[in-house]
Amino acid sequence: MSVRRFSPYLAALASALLLGSAGSAGAAESITLGAAVSETGKYSTNGKHTRNGYNLAIKRINEMGGVNVGGKSYQLKIIYYDDESTPARGAQLAERLIKQDGVKYMLGPYSSGLTKAIAPVTEKYGIPMVEGNGASRSLFNKGYKYLFAVLSTSEQYLAEAVNLAAENAGKLGKSASDVTVALAMENDPFSQDIRAGVLDDAKRHGMKVVIDDKLPKDLSDMAATLTKVKALKPDLLIVSGHSKGAALAQRQSSDMKVDVPMLAMTHCEAAKVQDKFPGISDYTLCATQWASTMSYSDKWFGSASDYANTFRAEYEGYTVVPYQAAESTASVLVWADAFERAGSLDTDALRDALAATEMQTFYGNIKFAPTGQNVAKPMALRQIIGGKYKVVAPSKWAEIPVVFPKPTWAER
Amino acid sequence: MNVILKYTLIAIAALAAPLLFPEYQIQLAWLWLMVVFALTWDAVGGQMGYNSFGNVFYFGLGMYVTAVVQRDLYYDFEEYETLAGSLDTLPPADYLTGMSLGLAASAVCAVLCAIVLGSGILRLRGHYFAICTLGLGIAAGEIAAGIDYIGAGSGLVTPVFPDGLGEKGLFFCYLLLALAAVTFLVLRWLYTSRFGLAINAIRDDEDKAEAMGLHTTRYKTIAWCVSGFFLAIAGGIMGDLIGFIDPVDTAFAGATFGVWMVLMAILGGKGTLWGPVIGATIFHVTQEIFWTFLFGWQRVALGALIVIIVVFFPQGVMGFARARWPDRFGHRVESVADKGATQ
Repeated sequence: MSVRRFSPYLAALASALLLGSAGSAGAAESITLGAAVSETGKYSTNGKHTRNGYNLAIKRINEMGGVNVGGKSYQLKIIYYDDESTPARGAQLAERLIKQDGVKYMLGPYSSGLTKAIAPVTEKYGIPMVEGNGASRSLFNKGYKYLFAVLSTSEQYLAEAVNLAAENAGKLGKSASDVTVALAMENDPFSQDIRAGVLDDAKRHGMKVVIDDKLPKDLSDMAATLTKVKALKPDLLIVSGHSKGAALAQRQSSDMKVDVPMLAMTHCEAAKVQDKFPGISDYTLCATQWASTMSYSDKWFGSASDYANTFRAEYEGYTVVPYQAAESTASVLVWADAFERAGSLDTDALRDALAATEMQTFYGNIKFAPTGQNVAKPMALRQIIGGKYKVVAPSKWAEIPVVFPKPTWAER
Repeated sequence: MNVILKYTLIAIAALAAPLLFPEYQIQLAWLWLMVVFALTWDAVGGQMGYNSFGNVFYFGLGMYVTAVVQRDLYYDFEEYETLAGSLDTLPPADYLTGMSLGLAASAVCAVLCAIVLGSGILRLRGHYFAICTLGLGIAAGEIAAGIDYIGAGSGLVTPVFPDGLGEKGLFFCYLLLALAAVTFLVLRWLYTSRFGLAINAIRDDEDKAEAMGLHTTRYKTIAWCVSGFFLAIAGGIMGDLIGFIDPVDTAFAGATFGVWMVLMAILGGKGTLWGPVIGATIFHVTQEIFWTFLFGWQRVALGALIVIIVVFFPQGVMGFARARWPDRFGHRVESVADKGATQ
C-alpha cells in the first residue's frame, strides 16, 4: 500500500538517475573537465565569475572546433558541483569528481582555502588541476606536482601599493620610512598571505605598521578598525577580505568619513564597487591580476579588450570584467593548449605538457615555475577615477599617474 | 535471536557496501560520520533533553589535536609549515601510529574539556544552555583562527595518506563505520543501564530527579563526556580524510555540522536509539541527491524537506512510526501510555 503510494516518486527518481547517466554516456567525442565552484555561500559572487569565465572559454574553444588531440578533435565540457564555499565539501566533491564521475582533468575552485582543500586530493590521485583562483603562496611551497596556477601569488597583490606610497611619500612631506600603514585583513589563507607580502614590503621601506587587524571570515562590520584608523591617521590603509570586504570597506569608510591618503584593496571589480558606490569609490586603489587595457592577445579571444567585449556581450550585468573571470578563462585555455601539445589524453603526459607550458593568452604570459605558480605575469594596480578603472602601476601599462594623496571627504 | 539476526544483516550490508559500490566509498564514509554526529548529539539533546549547539566543539578539538600530534611526532614544525607537500609521505606504520596516538590524545582532551566545561555549562538549563553552547562552538573557531601553531586562519594541512594502506576511501569508510558501530553499541548499552534511566529522568523532570537523589550534574557531565569522546575521534579521522583543516569552515563548523547534527536527530526522532541513525541516513542520502540533481537549489530543497518533516512528522521518523504501528515497539508504547495516564 505504502509502496504504491510512493511509486510515482520512486519512478521519478529512477528516471532522473537514468537521465543523468544517459547524459554522461552519450558524449564520446568530448573531454570532460571537473570543477567544484561555489554556487552558494560566501564565495557565491566570485564563484559565478569563475564559472562564467570557464563557460566562456569552453564555448569559444568548441566554436573554434574544439581541441585537436593527436589528430582527433574533441569538444570540451565541464562537470560542476557546488562546494558551498566550505573546504570540507570541496575536498569531498573533488573525490567525487575523480572517483565517481571519472574526471581526469580538473579546474580549480574559487579561493585559496578551497584550493588548499582540493589540491591534496588531486595530488593523491595524480590528477592535474589548472586553477586561476587560488593565489595563496602556501599552495606553492608544498611541492605539489599536479597543481598549476595561472595567476600571480597573493603576496604580490598589494606590493605595488606599498611601493607607490613609498615613491610618493614626498607629496605628504615625509620620507618613505615615515609612512605609516594600517592593515585590515580577513583571517583566511588568501588575505593572510597578502598581509605577509605587505609586511615584507613595508619592512623593506622601513615603514611603520600602526594597525594590524584580522577581520572575521563572515565579516559584516569593520567599524572598530576604522575608528582606530581615524584616531591614528595612517598614510596607507590596506584592506583584503574578498568581495564582501571590499564592499564593506568602501561603504563604511565613506559612512564614517575616514580620510586616508591612500586606500588600497583587493576584489574591487568582483564586488562591483564602482557601480555600487559611484563617486564614493573614486581614488580607491585596486589590485588586479589583469586589466582589459593590457597589451596581451591570443588566437582564441584576440586582445584583452576583445575578451572584455566578448565577455560583456555574453553575460549581463558587467561593466568591468572581473579578473576572476579572465583568469578562469585562461585556466581552460591552458588546458586546451596542453591537450594539443601532449597529443594524448594520458594524465601524466598532460602533467608534463602543463609543466612545459609557455604561451601568451589575452590574460597574460603563462609559464609555470616547478612549484606550479605562473611566473611570467606581473600584478597590476588600478585606481578608480570617475567610476573607471585606470592602471597606475606597473609603469609599463600605467594610463595615468596615481592621484595621491586622495582628496579628503570634505574636499569632495 | 531476532535482534542478533537484524544486526548481523545490517553489519553485512554496511561491510559489503563500499566493496559493491567502490565509487561511493567517500559518500559512505561521510554517511557514517553523519550517524556518529546524530547519535552523539542525541545522547545529550534527545535522551537527556539538553539541546546543545556546541557539540561541534569536540569535533573540531579532535581534528586539531589529532593533526598536531601526527605532525609533531614525525615532522619539524617550521619545515612542515613551508614544505608539507614535498616532504616524503610517512611510512604506513608511522602514519597509523601517529593517527592512533592522535585519536587517543584527542579523545582524552575532549573528555577533560567536557568535564571542565560541563561542570559549569551544564548547570544552565533550557534556552540558556542552548545559547551558551552555541557560543562555545563559535568562540572555539575564533580562538583556533588566532593560534599560529595550528595554522591560524590559514588552516592546517594534515599528513598525506600514504600508499600501502590500500585505498583511501575504503580505509576511511571502514574506520568511520567501526566508529559509528562502536558509538551505537556503547550508547545502546548505556541507554539500557541505570545511566540511561537517569538521563531520561533528567529530561523528564530534572528537579524531581535531583530530589530522588540523583547527582544530576554528574550524570549530565558523563553524558557530555561520552558525546565528546566519540565526536573527538570522529573529528580526528575526518581531519585526515579531508586533508585540510580550516578553523571555522571545517573544524568548528557550527553552521553546517553543528546544525546538521541537531537536524538529523530530530528528523529521525530524538530520544530514540535508531532515530538518529535513520535521520542521518535520510539526511545524507537526500542531501547527496539534491546536490546532484538540484544544482544550486540543494539548500532550498533541503529546507523544504525539513519543513515537511517538522510539520508532518514532528516526532521524527521513529516517533511517527511508533504512533502508527505501536505494537511493533513493545513495552515502550506502554510506558508512554502509562505516563499519559498518571499525568
